[in-house]
Amino acid sequence: MTETIDIHAPGVEVKKSACYFCHQNCGVLAYVLDGKVIKIEGDPQHPTNTGGLCCRGNIALQHIDHPARINHPLKRKGERGGNEWEKISWDQAISEIAERINQIKAESGAEAVATAGGTLRTEDWARRRFMNMFGSPNSFHNALLCWIPTFMVETAVSGWSPFETDLGDSRVVILWGFNPGASGMPGMHGYYDLHKAGLKVIVVDPRYSETAAHADLWLPLRPGSDTALSLALLHVVLFEQLYNQEFVANWCVGFEELWEHMKQYTPEWAAPLTWLEPDLIRQAARMYAKNTPGNIQWGCTADQLGKSSGAGMHARAILRAICGNLDCPGGDLMPGPSQNYLCDEELEANDWLPEEQKAKQIGSNKFKLTSWPGYQRISDVAKETWGKAPTAEWMCEAHGPSVFKAILTGDPYQVRALIVNATNPVNSYGDSKMTLAALKQVEFLVTCDYWMTPAALYSDYVIPIAGALERPTLHTNYGVTDSLMASQRAIQPMYERHTDYSFWRDLALATGQDADQWPWLNEEEVFYYIIYPLGLPVESYDQFVEAYRFYYPPLHFYKYGTNGFCTPSRRVELKSSILEELGYPALPTYIGPAENEEDDPAVAAEYPLVLTTGGGFMPYHHSEQFQIQSVRYLRHEPYFTINPVKAEELRIKEGDWCWIETRRGRIRQRANIEPSVDPRVIYAQRGWWYPERGAEGDEPFGCLESNVNVLSSVDDDHCDPIGGSWANRGLLCKVYKVSYWDTIDTTWSIPGSAAQPGVSVLPSESKLAYEPIPFDTSAPFELPEGLTWDYPTKLAWDIERGLAYDPESGWLYHPETYVYYDLETHYAYDPDTETLVDEEGTRYDMTTKQPIGEAQADATAVENPVGDQPDAATNKAALEQAPAKDEGEEAL
Amino acid sequence: MTRFVMVIDQRRCIGCQSCTVACRTWNELPIDIIYNPVVSEGVLGVWPNVHQTFTPLLCMHCDNPPCTGCCPCKASQQEPDGIVWVDEKKCMGCKVCVNACPYGARDVNHKEGFVRKCNFCKDRVREGEKPYCVNTCHQKARIFGDLDDPTSEVSQLVNSLQVNTIFPELGTNPQVYYIPDLGGGNR
Repeated sequence: MTETIDIHAPGVEVKKSACYFCHQNCGVLAYVLDGKVIKIEGDPQHPTNTGGLCCRGNIALQHIDHPARINHPLKRKGERGGNEWEKISWDQAISEIAERINQIKAESGAEAVATAGGTLRTEDWARRRFMNMFGSPNSFHNALLCWIPTFMVETAVSGWSPFETDLGDSRVVILWGFNPGASGMPGMHGYYDLHKAGLKVIVVDPRYSETAAHADLWLPLRPGSDTALSLALLHVVLFEQLYNQEFVANWCVGFEELWEHMKQYTPEWAAPLTWLEPDLIRQAARMYAKNTPGNIQWGCTADQLGKSSGAGMHARAILRAICGNLDCPGGDLMPGPSQNYLCDEELEANDWLPEEQKAKQIGSNKFKLTSWPGYQRISDVAKETWGKAPTAEWMCEAHGPSVFKAILTGDPYQVRALIVNATNPVNSYGDSKMTLAALKQVEFLVTCDYWMTPAALYSDYVIPIAGALERPTLHTNYGVTDSLMASQRAIQPMYERHTDYSFWRDLALATGQDADQWPWLNEEEVFYYIIYPLGLPVESYDQFVEAYRFYYPPLHFYKYGTNGFCTPSRRVELKSSILEELGYPALPTYIGPAENEEDDPAVAAEYPLVLTTGGGFMPYHHSEQFQIQSVRYLRHEPYFTINPVKAEELRIKEGDWCWIETRRGRIRQRANIEPSVDPRVIYAQRGWWYPERGAEGDEPFGCLESNVNVLSSVDDDHCDPIGGSWANRGLLCKVYKVSYWDTIDTTWSIPGSAAQPGVSVLPSESKLAYEPIPFDTSAPFELPEGLTWDYPTKLAWDIERGLAYDPESGWLYHPETYVYYDLETHYAYDPDTETLVDEEGTRYDMTTKQPIGEAQADATAVENPVGDQPDAATNKAALEQAPAKDEGEEAL
Repeated sequence: MTRFVMVIDQRRCIGCQSCTVACRTWNELPIDIIYNPVVSEGVLGVWPNVHQTFTPLLCMHCDNPPCTGCCPCKASQQEPDGIVWVDEKKCMGCKVCVNACPYGARDVNHKEGFVRKCNFCKDRVREGEKPYCVNTCHQKARIFGDLDDPTSEVSQLVNSLQVNTIFPELGTNPQVYYIPDLGGGNR
């Protein structure tokens, strides 16, 4: 069909594979001849992309056999970072790694072994399964910058993250810090069509983005001030009474407290913080609240604001709820975990991890919602509601930067081994200099990757990994939704590459884990196991892909109508009890961005510009594809965007190499002068490194030179206290031209500046963004002996008998039948005769607690028997006559 | 008669350059040859009142192509359905057609010594498929079809909307039509 390759030649098979260069997971038809992919094409039948493929998708064939790919397991020869390698066999690599980590476990405990991950596109439940059985709680991803804190805050407030937008019936959508025009190509097409059909689009973005170009209302706010804007929008919706009063009355708790609390956050308060006119904020709030049903689409920005993130997520969760947009047609749907196939969480074997190991998770004492303390609480409620829980692998992780700090400082304990899987930490985690120093220093480092990244360079072993065409992919959106997309393997892995699932399975067996716990030999087997409960007439995973390809259950709206919301109170908790329990403000409470003009005027005087980074741009995804000529020629050098007014002031001309400096360090990029940003804003491209430069020097592959993460801060007091995310947006910076004698700054620091070498601060000495609010879960009254106080139900219980305690009357009562029982003797109270009755029917006097005469007792027992099933109506009436009525009973 | 044309909806184009990369990989082009660059003047206006338009370029497959008549060896030719293409076996690489084309749509493949240009993925089109850049466009900004078929999407668009062509004053009668992006949310 093309000039050299005939895809219709005999023997060519068509495989329904997928592109996995970003999260969209677009369908790809792979034409395979003799075990080689000869051509690929977008799959016109696939629901995501309907035949489309972006720059990244189209270079799959350049990627699969690129000369720079790692094709064999490599073992380090000579010094670390010397880039001298010995090719070894897969089995040898696995057994040597297993031996080493087992030794470290024996010497320092399993928690001394940590793993760093990338983004979604790996079988991470397998990694978690391995780590849980191994006994280490320290696996982490870049999850905290990408949706996970939002998911957890929204789940704490409304029982599940309402992330599935039912746009077909929606009337308004807020695209908040979300630019599908550069990060989710298939989505952009849909938004354009819906917009044309009448959907109102509000875009919140400090930059004139591809998406902002198609907005009805564009809010070009100060980068990082999203939380102030969220609070102001919520204020307008509340005090202009634009919320859904019926929903608030029936389904929300804590509204009165919210009303009082939100009085302070007026649009006038937000105006200087967000640089937006109060009227524009009001207009946006009215557009959103009056056009119901509507959606707020999640965007990465929400999780990349550093310390102010949590309050913004909370405010937006409330905004959705009180406007009545939860789980209704056209609204934000809360799918819940899938009831029809196995969720990731069910494969993770979380029960294997002992409690004392959970407590050792690094960062769980600081950032509690996204680690074991918060996850455990949410998971318990979810299991009560759905029988299933959110995936632990993403929602409950160690705090990545704190693990790197632990490697460097030994605080809270020394992390000795790190397995890096599908990530380039120097480019993707905050404070790159610190991360690079940690990679150089860690005692034992293993990297599983396609390419020789800086992490791979300093590794003891490098493991070659198979790409998307070489493995099947099952996309379940982090395992927290009820639909899935499946794609098959086009070819078996080339050379000695293996999939990441094989790596974890083989490593598990080599470290001595039981083969019975890993019964699935390959992905096809485990995916079939996952989809088996669907009950479809297929005998293998491949058949499922051929016949069905995806599974979308019919939409169920108003699921909360039957069981209530998946929160402790079964209502939307505007005042969140889970956040309160963890020691955070129960209502959204403003904290400024990590660095801002209001709180740090001295910093702002030296660094007058506001930096925003982390936004996606075509054709790269994070730090990927920089090796591939076919896309690199589109953008071969890094550019930052600066407004022409500011550029003229700073005497910067188009294309000039400039330094961008924050208090942490400086990087250089070239100037792109255009009015797509405010004169006070700098927008820098993310992910830049130069794989073509080679591995020499302290900064291999130029990995710090243009890398925006050199500029970001991971200090504890700059991280979101709730979720632990660090700031990529809204940092203060300055920009100046690169001059002739400049050299690149290589000192690492936590924190520090380019002008002065950094000061190292031990993590335990650094403060949190605000001190945790002590949260008292003890009983508010003196607890009688033998009773247990249960904070979530606010009741003291006699657990053995299932009886609750009424502190005012001093009696026990049964929470369903409302029969009162004596506290000491446990005899039931009979209101008709005003006597006590024991289980055998013997009657006792109320005050003396002595048996009453036999004859009298027999007579009343026949007349009014008190058995196993007491008459609830009588007893409820009795309850009303009881000396004191506990408010808590109503909720039961 | 059949007349293949392309309509480019600039209201939809977001400048992702997927077509540029897709064309290169599908047609296995060397790194220095681009059939369909996406160009833009950048963001225009004064913050925050700004606008940007992208213009994907390719061979215009003119009705009156200046590049065919000038070819001394009849390698550069036009099919009856309007597709202008170069027969690599006949081409001697004299570059006359490269000079003749006002759209810069032709490149010399210095390695192999002949001229290359977009041929609307002739082989795909003959099999009833669309050119690869049309398939790959996520935004559906490229629409391909037969202008002489009144039921086709291209015919309906060209005849119902204000469409532009590039350099119409040269008399080449280009057959790639652009639906301009006039801003204002594009309702």
